[in-house]
Amino acid sequence: MSPRRILKALSPLFACIGLLCVWQFASMRLQTESFPTAIETLKVVPSILTDKESIRNILDSMRRMAIGLTLAVLFAIPLGLMMGRVKAVANFFNPLMMIIYPVPKAALMPIIMLWLGVGDVSKTLVIFLGVSLPIIYHSFQGGKAVEEKMLWSGAAMGMSAPSRMLRIVLPAALPEILTGCRTGLVLALITMITSEMIARQSGAGNILFNALDMAQYDTVFAMILIVGLMGIIFDAVFEKIRMSLVRWSQPRDDMPLSFT
Amino acid sequence: MSERINAFLIGLIPIALFLALWQSLVSFGYAPSNLLPPPGAVFGRLATQFFTSDFLHDLAATLIRLFAGFGIAVLLGVFIGLAAAVNPAINAVVKPLVRVLAPIPKVALYPALLLILGFDHASKITLVTADALFPILLSTYYGAAMVEQKLIWSAQAAGTPRWQILFKVVLPAAMPSILTGCRIGLVISCIVVFLAEMITSSDGLGHMLVQAARTFQTVDMFVPLIMISLLGLILNSLLHTLRGYLLRGFPEV
Repeated sequence: MSPRRILKALSPLFACIGLLCVWQFASMRLQTESFPTAIETLKVVPSILTDKESIRNILDSMRRMAIGLTLAVLFAIPLGLMMGRVKAVANFFNPLMMIIYPVPKAALMPIIMLWLGVGDVSKTLVIFLGVSLPIIYHSFQGGKAVEEKMLWSGAAMGMSAPSRMLRIVLPAALPEILTGCRTGLVLALITMITSEMIARQSGAGNILFNALDMAQYDTVFAMILIVGLMGIIFDAVFEKIRMSLVRWSQPRDDMPLSFT
Repeated sequence: MSERINAFLIGLIPIALFLALWQSLVSFGYAPSNLLPPPGAVFGRLATQFFTSDFLHDLAATLIRLFAGFGIAVLLGVFIGLAAAVNPAINAVVKPLVRVLAPIPKVALYPALLLILGFDHASKITLVTADALFPILLSTYYGAAMVEQKLIWSAQAAGTPRWQILFKVVLPAAMPSILTGCRIGLVISCIVVFLAEMITSSDGLGHMLVQAARTFQTVDMFVPLIMISLLGLILNSLLHTLRGYLLRGFPEV
């Protein structure tokens, strides 16, 4: 690897270090008890990650997220693609979707809790609802943009409608679908944290907000670091999967625009 | 035109079915009405509450936070996105930062913001800005980075000064992409402002929901939810109108 590429690969790491330095200086300037320095916070992280109880909570969160995300993907992609290809289906679902989209799904938590309790079912349901909508929306857009000629060619070669859906529409819409999945992933983390904040029973959000209430500020900041790290790792893993799935599609031009 | 009306009517069917299902769940006794109030009661409560000063006060608080946060996010996002797209040095700094910061769930930052900025407007506005910023920034960046080089060359050949190219060529060409980013940012802002108010607040729609949940007033729990959904719908259609106006010369819109 050339030094330039190494520098490029390491640049997120430099960004992390830079942000931690800014944090350190800011907290040293402010000097308040409720804003621990970066070094103090980093010292607390290992003790949380080795504590059995916290590990169990974090794994609980991740399990709920995984189940909610999987269910949403299985449900939302077929629906979105159907909406994209069949105009009647799109007309049917689009207005309902437009109404539900801006409702914060975690805000449904207090109501769902009344029906299904504070356990896993309601939290997973809320995550499922939150993730489904962006995936439906992007699958819809992706399915709509599939070139008509490809479908005609497929039909001319004797492909049945379901196999056209699977072998032409799905791959053609995949880049767009994966954009939706990425938004869904971020929303899943947001919903996970907030649903656990509302129903404090288990999970990473539970540790975070209980620490806030008990004024254990170093734990608050350490948990924020851990949750942030989770977000970054999930995103990186997803990006790897995405690259291997849609390598054929045109790579997004990352070169800065030049005036010369 | 009649086709559009037809499409609109078909779209009303699932909404009507949804309301009918909701009503029948209550009237046939599957759900006790203290857990699931009938839709009539909820909309009635919304109509009577809407003109009370308490409700308007909460609504105004939410709107101020929403618009302030979203507005700052649009300004910052478009500015940083354009700067990163046209200047390689800025790009080298912004890109790794965005890569690290964008996937972090910002709600998790809220306790930190509370501790640093206090319980007032500032922490909520910052949270909304932080959440809406990245979709806007990224779509501005991609929109501006993909402007056809030929357009810029033509402008240069016509003698446009370099800094004017930014406003006369790059910004308009990136506009569709920027507006798509704004739309995503707007939906996220609606969600986040509500959540922030649910976590800690003394006013706002989110606070209304939490207040109602604590006292098991199920009817009152639905009112803010419907309100935020309406708000999202109205703002979205406003943005759509704005988009139609701004992109009036573009072929595909």
